[in-house]
Amino acid sequence: MDTIKDRGEATRWQQEHDVRAPRVGDEVPDFELSDAAGANPVRLSGFQGVTPVALVFGSFT
Amino acid sequence: MGLRELYERCHDRVQFLSVYIREAHPVDGWWLGKGPLSRLMKLAGMKARTDVYDPATIEERREVAGSCARSLEYGIPTLVDEMDDAVNRAYAAWPTRLYLVGADGRVAYAGGIGPWGLKPAELGDAIETYLAGAEPETA
Repeated sequence: MDTIKDRGEATRWQQEHDVRAPRVGDEVPDFELSDAAGANPVRLSGFQGVTPVALVFGSFT
Repeated sequence: MGLRELYERCHDRVQFLSVYIREAHPVDGWWLGKGPLSRLMKLAGMKARTDVYDPATIEERREVAGSCARSLEYGIPTLVDEMDDAVNRAYAAWPTRLYLVGADGRVAYAGGIGPWGLKPAELGDAIETYLAGAEPETA
């Protein structure tokens, strides 16, 4: 994914990816990511059977 | 209801994770820094920035993610998507989006594409509905 330059690129990216996004009832795509220090990796599936998880995706702008 | 209020209300029952993804409106991209939306954001007291460039390396991405987390002060643990944007793409998350994942590993709530589809109150309702259904039945 390159930096999106305008509304047209944004719409195309969203249309391309939203059709494959998980829907209610779907198994979620698992991932493991680290924090802003590049440390403390967290695996989403590590919460399975333990607690629900609220995912908040976003950026600074 | 905002994300901060939702987090404060529910974080003892739900694990919140913030995932920092590719910038929505960086200076070198679809920049809104000079438009009326920027003025509206300032008037509304929104903390979104208009002077950030899209990070080109994972080190830059981590730095901006850390600044973002410190500025927003939600208290939600922040994770950083890798430069291949794999998680962002898998969840069609750009520019911003909310999900609730049940303890069974399945989607319990899939929010709309932000910013207009970003509805913390809707996620709050989904959390309450999910937790009510997850409680053991009493005789």
